[in-house]
Amino acid sequence: MRHIYSRWLAASSAAILVAGLAGWAAAATRPRYGGTLRVEVRRPGDSADPPQIGFGMADLNGSFAIAQWDAGRQAVYEASETAVGGRPYLDRVEVQLARPLREQSTDLELGKTDVVELGPNELRRPAAGRKVWSSAPVRVVALVFGPRVEDARVREALSLAVDRGAIHRVLLQQQGEISGALLPQWLTGYAFLFPAVADMARARALLSGVPAAARSLTLAADDASLRPMAERIALNARDAGLAVTVGSGAADARLAEIRIVSTDPARALGVVAAALGANPPAHAASPEALYAAEKAMLEGFRVVPLFQLPEVYGVSPKVKGGPGVSPLGEWRFENLWLEGGRP
Amino acid sequence: MTFRTRLLVVFTLAVVLAVGLVEALVLKSTSQAFEGVETQRVDGLVAQFQKEFDRRKQEIVRAVDGIARSDALRTIATSADYAPYYDAAPDLASAHGLELLELVAGDGTIVSSAEWPARFGYSEEWLTRGGDRNGEDWHTMGAFLKREELPDGVILSLVAVSAVAVADRVLYVAGGQQLDREFLSTLALPQGMRVLLYGNLEPQFSARALVGDSRAGDAETVRPLVLRVLADRRETTRILGRGADAETFHALPLAGYEDTLLGVLLIASSRRELVELEASQRSTGIWVAAGGILMGMALAWWATARITRPVRQLAASAGRVAAGDWGATVEVASADEIGKLAGAFNRMTRELVEQRSRLVQAERVAAWRELARRLAHELKNPLFPLQITVENMQRAREKYPEQFDEAFREGTATLLAELSNLKQIIGRFSDFAKMPAPEMQPVDFNRLVSETLRLFEGRLEQAHIATVLDLAPDLRPVRADAEQMARALRNLILNAIDAMPDGGTLTLRTSAADGRIRLEVSDTGQGLTPEECERLFTPYYTTKTHGTGLGLAIVQSVVSDHGGRISVESAPGKGARFRIELGG
Repeated sequence: MRHIYSRWLAASSAAILVAGLAGWAAAATRPRYGGTLRVEVRRPGDSADPPQIGFGMADLNGSFAIAQWDAGRQAVYEASETAVGGRPYLDRVEVQLARPLREQSTDLELGKTDVVELGPNELRRPAAGRKVWSSAPVRVVALVFGPRVEDARVREALSLAVDRGAIHRVLLQQQGEISGALLPQWLTGYAFLFPAVADMARARALLSGVPAAARSLTLAADDASLRPMAERIALNARDAGLAVTVGSGAADARLAEIRIVSTDPARALGVVAAALGANPPAHAASPEALYAAEKAMLEGFRVVPLFQLPEVYGVSPKVKGGPGVSPLGEWRFENLWLEGGRP
Repeated sequence: MTFRTRLLVVFTLAVVLAVGLVEALVLKSTSQAFEGVETQRVDGLVAQFQKEFDRRKQEIVRAVDGIARSDALRTIATSADYAPYYDAAPDLASAHGLELLELVAGDGTIVSSAEWPARFGYSEEWLTRGGDRNGEDWHTMGAFLKREELPDGVILSLVAVSAVAVADRVLYVAGGQQLDREFLSTLALPQGMRVLLYGNLEPQFSARALVGDSRAGDAETVRPLVLRVLADRRETTRILGRGADAETFHALPLAGYEDTLLGVLLIASSRRELVELEASQRSTGIWVAAGGILMGMALAWWATARITRPVRQLAASAGRVAAGDWGATVEVASADEIGKLAGAFNRMTRELVEQRSRLVQAERVAAWRELARRLAHELKNPLFPLQITVENMQRAREKYPEQFDEAFREGTATLLAELSNLKQIIGRFSDFAKMPAPEMQPVDFNRLVSETLRLFEGRLEQAHIATVLDLAPDLRPVRADAEQMARALRNLILNAIDAMPDGGTLTLRTSAADGRIRLEVSDTGQGLTPEECERLFTPYYTTKTHGTGLGLAIVQSVVSDHGGRISVESAPGKGARFRIELGG
């Protein structure tokens, strides 16, 4: 009898414990209002007013309202009670501006922030409990030649000299995809048709007929994170017979990063063309026409697409309700909440 | 230059040469000694530097070994994919104090490079070229020189390699330091030393390849030395620069791990201290030498004065003897050669005095004999007619009394004539003896000559002698006794007439030169021998069968009394020319 009682008592205790744990788990996954989400970005944000269009902070408009704008340093958004989809769970979003990628990762590891941008170097570093939000490839990295590089053979030779595979494998840690197209494969479906393979022999052959004075040029990177890529390109160029000096400011060529802003390929191509300072492509009603328009833009090797990269964020495990970014890389913070909340 | 001055110059030169020679020898020997000490010092400094250099090599080896043993490298070595670690080298290099670090996979491809991060995936063939080289070999090799290619150019580096073997995989760790100005500046160098490094990275000598504590112009200065070391591949020491800025350069060839000559290390040690020490010693030596020379000169001055004093006394005594002081003597103060010379001088002057006395006495005797001979000759001629006349008168008195009166008259006339002749002879001797002192007054010699010649016009005509009168028109008056000079001139004219018994030409000429007047009387007679010319003015000497031999002696006496000089030029058959010079 006593034995039966003991077994009953144990079973009852276990049932109570399981029920308690289930309740605790249910409470933990249930959205909670309140708290401040801390976000760090590398963009300087040094304009006089907070951004109204584009990606990132501009995506907060509607669900949140700007409460404080300290240009170049900090932006504070507060939950909008009149948001169309209802009030966000979070009370506030604080965005620290102009934070280097490495410091962002450190702050995330130390719990000083909740959401940070991740570069390839930060992505490969293991971090306990860190979650990763990633968009589809929405940033095209391209070599853009200035008017001083007049000889098309030089431009083509450099495009053929770039070993995209090594850069993608090592510098980008296989993030994104190698591309010879301005628009990503997921958006157009024809990106693979643009060649993206290095051909050092042809590059050398092209340069053999180029005067020595035209074989040296300077290369700048729009963003400091692109500088290692620029230096590798300079090394590849050297193997081909080009003297490329990596610098900053005005240069003969630059490594540019252009954001894909629309899921409409034609519109996206138009925005990319505008960003590159190229003539707007003709209206393309079909994929064939769009391909032709993009191909026309790339003829002459004034612009050489190299990679399509995603937006990647590292997120604290305390942030719930994600992912907080859309496939196009837009911030979707209205459905996020913080574990435990904050006053 | 006096004997004493010459002696002083010789002594001084001897002192200067001796002191200079000694000074040069002393300077040379001390300089060699200093150089020896300096060489030892430089060798010590070079050894000290090499020790420091080896210490830095060991530090690099330790740092590379530390990286190879680190957990981080173990993690990389065991990783299936090296790609995530392409940027590991900079952090590892920084943590271990290295400037250069490459992590290289077993197949020679670069996993990560601190000095050129973009070179990942490229091949480092030199690491795998020696296929049989294992980790122990690299460790034994220690740090070595290597030519390193960087984005900005080629540099020289000091590199060590360590190989990490995990299972069947190898990961090489090649790390080191750039051998540049910063590296050299971190070496603890002794005072007065500096280090330059020439990187032999280009085919030709390049000034840019010279790094370290270099100064302006160093490249050109060390260029020959560097080229020599590169050609010979052995240590060379050379002194470069001048003066206190000169330095002793110890050049060491630096070979790479494959024995390629990659650089030349130039350890320069300043010679300033040595040069200043030598300069100080030279300065002191010069002062000492100058003092020695001055002292030597003073001693030479004293010695020459002492040595030449008897000689000067001898010279002074000889001068007095020459001036007529035949009794001059020298004090004999020593028994040396100078003393013997002084004694000989004294003996010589004594003998001279005695000989002169004997000569004067002999001449006096000769003069008296000549006078006696001349007197006997002059007196004998009138005495003989006197004797004959008196004997004729005696004979006529005894044998022819009737003719005595006539004989008496003739005899007394003859006697009176001869007595007159005797009286005249005695008068001439008396005149010579009683030559009065000249009464000086301005005399116009042209006029004197003309008037005197006029007295002889008749006689010259009888002797068929032509006269030539060549008188200087601007002859100034000269103070003289006109009567005595006329008498002298008369004697010369008479002498010339006697010299031309068959006729000839008598020339009288006056001239002036150098403030003196000159009177010449020339004849075209038979002339004189040199012996006759020498004795011509001796009293009572004559070449004629008649005459007293006093004429030219009187002329010389007159000229001498006027402070003048008379000379004769003649040769047998070519006449004679008497020249009188007065005034001045």
